[in-house]
Amino acid sequence: MTSLTAAVAPVPPPGTARLAARGRSLLLPVRPALAVVVLVALLVAVCAVSLAVGSAGLRPARALAAAFGQGQGIEVVLVQRLRLPRLQAGLLVGAALGVAGLLLQVVARNRLATPGNVGIDDGATAFAVASVVGVTAAYAPSGMALAGAATACALALGLAGGAGSSGYRFLVVGLGVGAVLGAITSLLLVRAPIDAANAAFPWSVGSLSARPPGPVRLLAIGLALALPAAVLVGRRLALLRLPDGVATSLGARVPRVRLAALAVAVVCAGLAVAVGGPLGTVALVAPAAARRLAGPRGVPVVGAALAGALLVVAADLAGRTVAAPVEVPVGLVTALVGSPYLIWLLLSPRSLKTP
Amino acid sequence: MTTTAPTVPAPSRLRADQVVFGHGDEVVLHGLSVELRPGRLTAVVGPNGCGKSTLLGALARLHRPRSGAVLLDGRRLDRLPAKEAARAVGLLPQSAQAPDGLTVGDLVRFGRTPHQGLLRQWSAADQVAVEDALAEADLAHLAERPVDTLSGGQRQRAWIAMAVAQDTPVLLLDEPTASLDLGHALEVFALLRRLADEGRTVVVVVHDLTSACRYADEIVALRDGRIIGQGAPRDLVTPELIAQLYDVEAVVVGDPVTGTPLVVPVRACPAVPVRPCPAEGEKRVDSVS
Repeated sequence: MTSLTAAVAPVPPPGTARLAARGRSLLLPVRPALAVVVLVALLVAVCAVSLAVGSAGLRPARALAAAFGQGQGIEVVLVQRLRLPRLQAGLLVGAALGVAGLLLQVVARNRLATPGNVGIDDGATAFAVASVVGVTAAYAPSGMALAGAATACALALGLAGGAGSSGYRFLVVGLGVGAVLGAITSLLLVRAPIDAANAAFPWSVGSLSARPPGPVRLLAIGLALALPAAVLVGRRLALLRLPDGVATSLGARVPRVRLAALAVAVVCAGLAVAVGGPLGTVALVAPAAARRLAGPRGVPVVGAALAGALLVVAADLAGRTVAAPVEVPVGLVTALVGSPYLIWLLLSPRSLKTP
Repeated sequence: MTTTAPTVPAPSRLRADQVVFGHGDEVVLHGLSVELRPGRLTAVVGPNGCGKSTLLGALARLHRPRSGAVLLDGRRLDRLPAKEAARAVGLLPQSAQAPDGLTVGDLVRFGRTPHQGLLRQWSAADQVAVEDALAEADLAHLAERPVDTLSGGQRQRAWIAMAVAQDTPVLLLDEPTASLDLGHALEVFALLRRLADEGRTVVVVVHDLTSACRYADEIVALRDGRIIGQGAPRDLVTPELIAQLYDVEAVVVGDPVTGTPLVVPVRACPAVPVRPCPAEGEKRVDSVS
């Protein structure tokens, strides 16, 4: 009986739809696809509200239209000039951190692994602050943050003897590397003249109010390259959730895949920190939310990017409105959201399981 | 094509040729040569730390030998494309842990990875292989259950089913019965015996000598990274071998059920001077505890 049905068209695995033609076949996982649809809908809604809220309130629908150049001139100027850049920065930073967190968690086989926890954020921050305190060129924060992120990651990897089967070690060593680099940031801020220290302040708390255009543009370009790369690596990464020996025996070139995933994570995290400063908990919460929505199969790269963007835009919106006209930095809001999750994770036995 | 008889891959033989492997200054495998033939179940036995798992890892191209080579039907395994090698040799490492939330079916479907591609994500052959593997491991009724809700024996069978779905002529398993009770261990051995009888080359690392003698066609005895004996259980397993392997005085009798050797340990005995002595430090720790 099975052979007959199999000869006609194979039954796809549960939870997937199969598209096939001329010997080729694609599997569309239903639940992750639905998760993406839901996240996009939520994201559009939050973006509309974010564009509408401010010193001059608009209706969300009109704000969204104004963002695309429709409606009254004054509204278009207000939205496009003043509010859209901030929203774009938030979207990009959130998406980049969501992807970076997801990739790191799979590589380290630990839900606690984030660019913040393995020292990548601290490295990027320290280098970015150094560049603001020292040199002032438009692209300097991005370049330096990227260099800092890569340095921190290389240090943690080198000292831990690779991310290999010792994911836990990588995490612990990364914590140490992060602490040292965090101390360097503090030292730089203390020793710098007050003006320079002020200019570097956003990088030490995580804020979207600075959003220099150069780093935002670089982040956009970086993400445009990194996201497709992450989706491709994500297919291979699904195998890395299995033990190394099994993954290798199934044909994965484990060290190569791991290195590619780490490289994409470092690029995403470094460029994001150059724009918004350390928003560490986004990289912790967004992948968890994406996995929750997309289910246990596979590695939800697009979902994590959307969840990260949603989180940062919503947190920024909350930070701007809760205590208006005083603005709460987005980093504080995400920390408030992320910390309870972190505590729950540390107390829950799930933290020991492979993500 | 019918699915009543499971499809079995074309037979392949795997050969280790003078394989030397080590970490840093420490040499773990001292030029091992072993030939593993289709249709045979080979058990690798030996004391803890003798290099059993390392040998299996070298056979599964997890470790690159310092010298020597692993040959699949005469071709060097490490020179084959990763995907082709993955269609030839399957490995189940020790105490494998499944990712959180995966079902048995999800896990077994992972086994099809080397047969799939970006534009060939699910074929009729994939479905047949997964169904056969689930049936072979007697897990078809549990396919939708999360792996972490299974009993130890079922979980181990799920991993074996994944390796079976991989449809490789060679199957390597590292202590698949390590944490299983008597009944579950028996089931796993019966399954491995069946897989070998169907024509696969099956290699299994085990500690339980009685089961090894019962189910294996051939035993490879390893001590300190060297093969000190190799052959059919009846010819190989003697009190002398047990003493050389484990420093244990033992009586070997016939298994009342199968007639294969049954090892009855008597007491720990001083090391037999046929091999290099273990490091001093190790011995002292032993005697204190």
